[in-house]
Amino acid sequence: MSRTSGLVAVALAALLATAACAKGEDSGETPAPAGSAGQQVVQSQGAAGPTCTLQSFGGQKFDLKKDVVGFSQSEKEANPFRIAETRSIKDEAAKLGIANLRVTNAQSQFSKQISDVQQLIAQGAKLLIIAPLNSDGWEPVLRQAAEKKVPIITIDRKINAQPCTDYLTFIGSDFYQQGERAADQMIQALGGQGEVAILLGAPGNNVTTDRTKGFKDRIQEKAPGITISFEQTGEFTREKGQQVTEQLIQSRPGTEGIYAENDEMALGAVTALKGAGKSPGQVKIVSVDGTRAAVQGIVDGWLSAVVESNPRFGPLAFSTTQKFLDGEGIPATVIISDQEYTTANAKESLGNAY
Amino acid sequence: MADLAVAPRAWGGRVRLLAWLQEYGVYVSVLALLLFNVVFTPHFLEVANFRTQLIQVAPVVITSLGMALVIGTEGIDLSVGSVMALASAVVVLYLGYGAPVAIVAALIAGAAVGAGGGALVAYVGVQPIVATLALLVGVRGLANVLVPQLTEFRNPTLITLGSRSVLGLPLVVIIAAALTVLVAFLVKRTTFGRQLVAVGGNRAASRLSGLPVRRVLVTVYLISGLLAAVAGVLATSRLQASDPTSLGLLMELSAITAVVVGGTPLTGGRVRVLGTVLGALLIQLLQATLIKHNLPQSWTQMVQAVIILAAVYAARGRRA
Repeated sequence: MSRTSGLVAVALAALLATAACAKGEDSGETPAPAGSAGQQVVQSQGAAGPTCTLQSFGGQKFDLKKDVVGFSQSEKEANPFRIAETRSIKDEAAKLGIANLRVTNAQSQFSKQISDVQQLIAQGAKLLIIAPLNSDGWEPVLRQAAEKKVPIITIDRKINAQPCTDYLTFIGSDFYQQGERAADQMIQALGGQGEVAILLGAPGNNVTTDRTKGFKDRIQEKAPGITISFEQTGEFTREKGQQVTEQLIQSRPGTEGIYAENDEMALGAVTALKGAGKSPGQVKIVSVDGTRAAVQGIVDGWLSAVVESNPRFGPLAFSTTQKFLDGEGIPATVIISDQEYTTANAKESLGNAY
Repeated sequence: MADLAVAPRAWGGRVRLLAWLQEYGVYVSVLALLLFNVVFTPHFLEVANFRTQLIQVAPVVITSLGMALVIGTEGIDLSVGSVMALASAVVVLYLGYGAPVAIVAALIAGAAVGAGGGALVAYVGVQPIVATLALLVGVRGLANVLVPQLTEFRNPTLITLGSRSVLGLPLVVIIAAALTVLVAFLVKRTTFGRQLVAVGGNRAASRLSGLPVRRVLVTVYLISGLLAAVAGVLATSRLQASDPTSLGLLMELSAITAVVVGGTPLTGGRVRVLGTVLGALLIQLLQATLIKHNLPQSWTQMVQAVIILAAVYAARGRRA
């Protein structure tokens, strides 16, 4: 038995030593300042639809600064989008002097997100900001929140429920439109002619479906000269994007454009193209997100354009809440206006990328 | 039914066929898939294509070799994918000391996890599936704590490791081939290899006959961890970034599939090294075929399931 503990102890010690004397590569890059660069701008407020007021919602006025405010993040902060999203909420709360912000992370497990939000309600949260992992399955939470009349703002993904009764409003991008804009960029990059491949996002996800449909619809409508000859999932990861692109360029050398449904897959495609000895711009790449590495890719000539999907929800989420508390009407959906990064503006807009 | 005398002979024939399939099925399948692609896939018979397939399969082969040894002892190692992620995290954490030190640190971390798992199995008596399941979860978590987000690196030595060629062959592929030869030698020609097979075949008898059962078990898991770390370093260098969140995800399943399809029985007592390599190649070719023909990748998973069941069925028939 003592030998066992000895072995386990040695193994543990080795692992701990790993962390203790680590020394990373000098990156030479400083992380982006959190400032107001790249702040979200509202594109449409769902003008036609009805609006929701504190009165019609039936809620109680509360003090944003003193009461408990809950934020439930869906995925691990391991990719630039989630990192920027959580940081934006925290930074804005600090700026506004919101003292009781509670942040949870569901680590991509939906059941955990449900219990996270239930915990937040139990802790007396007066406002819930939720970045939902899924659109469905929220009934138990919505019922509990409705009993206490806690307003819910969902960000970046929608919840399938009734606005103004089940939740207050949704703030986010229009993924279908992002696909359309990516198509416009691809059409421009290829001059309306050529063979295009799509690196799809993770299957069974509305982001993937909308970004695909928007892209295809627009290509069909605007550029009949472009054929989409290949579509395979890269599961939103760099590694998969690289592996699929390696197969693609080897077996379909005629491919002139690649539409990647997020920046990570686009960067994987760039690694694959470099490995195959291609030069920048030989295959046109258009992607969606607006991460710093991808915008740098435009500057370096590997990417043609990046359609932004802005993760900085903090300012808009809290200003919407404040309006709601002041008695103003809140529309059921608040669609934000996303930017675009092209060869024309990539260099000077690099500071806006996240 | 008409002729009872024929029945036993037909049965014997079927058993022989199944035995033959278990022995050579994986070779036949790989050959068939290659032929299919030569005929139906454009640009398949090109050097660049074979390079791509071999480069992509190399980390799977390396991990599967370790898995084959573990399964040979009637064990299983579910932690290999997470160990790849840990190696990926450690290698960038130590890059400040230069690539060689960073790589050695990553390999030590992998071996340490393997030895820890082996100690739990050999000395504490935890079932392999439970011990390594705990590591699967915990080690991925540790890797994520060490490197919370995808981190790119610029170290030229580490990058060329993944993209360099020696005498026209990708270095990654040479490493995988060398490790295959090494593991085959270990199994076939060394005392340790014979002990490993004996421990897997009959642990009680091995113990009674004075074999160092525990030491063999710890060593086997240590080797599996070490090989997974090698695979993790190579995958990291190819990606030119450390990505502990997704690197090596579900690798344990690919490795187990390669081993089982390659003809190593899950009941231990036998290790088929070349079969394992062919098993990994079969999965790779299957994926490549579907991608090249632009078919949904979810099909790969379904076809893989069929192949696993076929392999297990062949193994069952053999024992019958």
